[in-house]
Amino acid sequence: MNENGKKKREWIKTAAIVFLAVMLVLTFFSNTFMNYSLPEVATQYVSPGTITAKIRGTGVVESGDPYEVKVTESRKVASVAVRAGDQVEKGDVILYLEDAESEELKAAQAVLDEKEDALQAAEDAFDRALLTEDYTAQDIQQADGSTPVVSYRQQLTDAQNKVAQAQQSLADRDKSVAKLDTKIEDVNAQIAYEEVRQEAAKNKLDSAAASYDEVSGGDAAAAAPAKEALEKAQKEYDEITSQIENLKLQKSSLELDRYNVQKSQASATKALEAAQKELDDLKAMLGNILNLDDFQKAISDAREDVAEAQKEVDKLSANSIGATVNADISGTVTAVNVVAGNMTSADTPVAVLQPEGKGYTMSFSVTNEQSRRLSVGDRADLVNAWRYDEVDVVLSGIKPDLTEPGQKKLLTFDITGNVTPGQTLNVSVGQKSADFDCIVPNSAIREDNNGKFILIVESRPSPLGNRYYASRVDVEVLASDDTQSAVSGALYGYEFVITTSTQPVEAGQLVRLAND
Amino acid sequence: MKKIIVGISGGLSFVVFIILLLIIRALGNSQAEQQMARRWSEDGGVAQVSCFFSVDADVDRDRIEDFEHSIDNALTEASVIQDSENPGARLWADAYSADGSVTVTRGNNTLEANAIGIGGDFFLFHPLRLISGSYFSGNDLMQDYCVIDEDAAWQLFGSSDVAGMIVYIGNIPHIVTGVVERPDGHLAKAAGLNSTLIYVSCQTLEELGQSNGINHYEIVMPDPVSHFAENFVRENLGSDPLKTEVIENSSRFSFPKRLRMITQFGVRSMNGKAIIYPYWENIARGYEDIIALITLFDMLFLLYALGVAIVLFVIWWRHKGWTVRGKMLILKDKLERLAEKQRQKRKKKEIEDPNFE
Repeated sequence: MNENGKKKREWIKTAAIVFLAVMLVLTFFSNTFMNYSLPEVATQYVSPGTITAKIRGTGVVESGDPYEVKVTESRKVASVAVRAGDQVEKGDVILYLEDAESEELKAAQAVLDEKEDALQAAEDAFDRALLTEDYTAQDIQQADGSTPVVSYRQQLTDAQNKVAQAQQSLADRDKSVAKLDTKIEDVNAQIAYEEVRQEAAKNKLDSAAASYDEVSGGDAAAAAPAKEALEKAQKEYDEITSQIENLKLQKSSLELDRYNVQKSQASATKALEAAQKELDDLKAMLGNILNLDDFQKAISDAREDVAEAQKEVDKLSANSIGATVNADISGTVTAVNVVAGNMTSADTPVAVLQPEGKGYTMSFSVTNEQSRRLSVGDRADLVNAWRYDEVDVVLSGIKPDLTEPGQKKLLTFDITGNVTPGQTLNVSVGQKSADFDCIVPNSAIREDNNGKFILIVESRPSPLGNRYYASRVDVEVLASDDTQSAVSGALYGYEFVITTSTQPVEAGQLVRLAND
Repeated sequence: MKKIIVGISGGLSFVVFIILLLIIRALGNSQAEQQMARRWSEDGGVAQVSCFFSVDADVDRDRIEDFEHSIDNALTEASVIQDSENPGARLWADAYSADGSVTVTRGNNTLEANAIGIGGDFFLFHPLRLISGSYFSGNDLMQDYCVIDEDAAWQLFGSSDVAGMIVYIGNIPHIVTGVVERPDGHLAKAAGLNSTLIYVSCQTLEELGQSNGINHYEIVMPDPVSHFAENFVRENLGSDPLKTEVIENSSRFSFPKRLRMITQFGVRSMNGKAIIYPYWENIARGYEDIIALITLFDMLFLLYALGVAIVLFVIWWRHKGWTVRGKMLILKDKLERLAEKQRQKRKKKEIEDPNFE
C-alpha cells in the first residue's frame, strides 16, 4: 500500500512540475505566440490631398480639314510630280496627264453611234413590218374593211418602185450632165488649141502679107512666090478660122443640150421628192391602219436618244481638260493615290493636301459617364510625353458617337506640333478636382451590405504592451481616381487605415503592425 | 475489462468525429470565394449565388445589365428594403467574368498569358492576397486597369512592387493597379492555375485579347426565405438547364448538401453540359469531393461512438441496483419529510410569539 502511494505521489509530483514548467514557458512567450497568430497589417495615414480623375484614350492623328484634289474625268496619268510629305505652293504641278480623249468622251461617242444604229434598226423594223406576212388580212380588214392586204402591199411596192425609178432617172441625168460636161471641156480644149494655131497662122499671114507688100511693086515673077505664100497663109488662116467656127457651133449645141438636161434634172428631182413623199405618206397611212404605233414610237424614241447622246458628246467635248493637274492651295501633300500609268477616276482623289497653317485632329470615343468629367478646352497630356516635342493636344469637341448614340460620346482633339498623320497617340485628359480632407488608397476601401467602410488601427494599452485592434469606420466615397479615393466619414484625419493584411481582418480583431 | 476498452474506443471515435467536423469547417472556411455571404452580412439573411454558362449560351454584357435592372424590382416586390444609414450602402453586389488570353508588353518583355476579363465587383468576391497595390472594379470610371500575379510581375518588371506602372495590351497603355498571389497547391494547379494569370477588364479582353465569352456571373443578395436568391437567378439567368449551371455558394458546404454529395457518388463526375468552370469553381468542387468523403467517415465514426454509447447505456441500465420506481419513492419520502419539517417550524413560531401582533 505504501509502495503504491509512493509511486502515485511521485507520478503526481512529476506531472505537476511538467505542468508548471509548460505554464511558465507559455506565459513568458505568450505575447510572441499571440503575435505570430495575429494577422499582420500594412497601414497608411489618412491625409488630405487632391483627386485627379483622368480619362485615357488612344486615337490616330488625322490631318484636320484635308483638301482633296480630284480629277473629274478618267485620264491616264503620264507621271506624278510630288510625293507624300512634299510642300507645294498654289499652282504647282501635281500630276502630268497623257493627251488623250478621255474615257468619258469616248464612251459618249460610242453611245451616240449605238443610238444612231438603233434609230436605223427601228426604221428598218418598221419597213419590214409593213411588208411581212405578220399582218394578216384580218388585221387590215378590221382597221379598214375595204382594202385587202395584197393591194396595200402592191401600192407600197409601186410607190417604192416609183421612188427607185425617179432616183434612177435623176442618176441618169446626172450622168448625162457629167458626160456633156466632159465633152464641152474637150471642145473647149480643141478651140483653145485652134486659136493658138490661128494666132500662129495670123502671124504667118501678116508676115507673108508684109513680105508681099515689099515685093508687090516690083517684078511680077519675083512677087509670085510671095503671093503664093500669102495665098497659102491666107487659106490656112481661113481653114483654121472656119474650124474654130465649127467647134464653137459644136460647143453651143452641147451647152444647149446640157441646159436642157439640167432643166429636166430639176423636174426629175421634183418627181423624186414627190415619189418619196408619196411613199412616206403611204407608209404613214399604212402604219396608222396596221397599228404600227409601237414601231413608230420606237423610231421617235430612237430619234430622241440620238439627240441626247449628241448633246452629251457635245458637252464632254466642251469640258475636256488639259494636260496637268495643279494644286489649288499651298500646303503639304499627305497622300498620293495614283502612280504613272493609272487611270484617274472621278470618285477617288488623286492626292490629299494638308492646307498650310491648319493643325491635326484626333478622336476616340468614351462612355457617357467619362465624358461628364470633361469640358471643351481641357488640355490633354500625352502618356510618355518625353517622346514627343512641342505637341499640344486640346479637347475641341464632345459629340454623340454615331456608332452607339445613346451610350458613348466621341471626343475630338485639336493637335498642333510635331506629329504626322497616321501616328497613334495615347493621351489622358481630365480636370483636377477640389481638395479633399481625407484621402485613402483604393486598397483600404472595403464593402459589405452596410455600405463602404475602412478599418483603422487603434491601440489600447495592456499590461503586456500596446495591443492593436482593427475598428470599422463607415465612409462614403466622394471621388476616386486610379490609385486613391476621397472619403467622408467619422474621421479626424491622420488615422492609420489598414491597406493590406496577411489574413482577412474583421472589425474588432487584434492585429499586429508590419515592421517598417 | 472489455467494457472499458470498448468504452474508450467509443470515446476516441467521438473525439475523431469532433476533429473531423472541425477539419470540415476549416476546409469550408478556407474558400474565401465561397464565403462572400458571410463577409457581406454577419447577421445572415443573404446568399451568394453563382451561375456558370456554356460557351454557346451567348451571354454578353447587355444581358447581364438587363438582369441587374430586374433585381431591384424583385427585391422591392419581396419587401426587402435598405435599412442601413450609410448613404452608399447597397443591398446586393455582383460580378461576372470571361476567360481568354492576352498579350502584355512592357519595354522589350512580352508575355502571353491566360487572362480573366472581369466585370462588376469581381475582387469583392475573390479577395486574392494582394502583395502590392489594390484591386479594380468593373464599376470604375476607366477600364484600362489590370491586376497581375507574381509570375507576371517578375517576368515583366522583375519586381512585385509595381503598382501604378504601365504595360501595353494591344498597343493601349494599361495601368497595373495591383499584384496578387496566385493560389497554389495540388488542387489549384489541377483546377487550371498552372500558369501565369492576368486580370483585365472584360472590355479589354473582348477588344484587345481573345475572349471565350462570359462564362460566369455571381451575386450576393438578400435571401428573405431560403432559396429565394437561387430561384431568382435560376429563373432569370439560368433558365436553360443545358447551357447554365446555378449554385448557391453560401450553403455549399452545409450538412444537407454534403449528404446529397455522398448519395450522388457515382453520377457526380458525369458532365452533360459544355461548361468550362473557372478555376475557383473547380477548386471548390475538388474540396466538395474531399469534404464529402470526410463527411462519410465522420458519420461512420459518429455512428460507432453512438452505437457504443447506446450499448453501454443499455447494459448499465439493465445492471443498475435500483429502479426508477424505488428512486421516485425515496424522493417522495424526502419531500414529505421536508414539508413536515416546514409545517413544524411554522407551528413553533406561532406558539412562541402569539402575543406579538
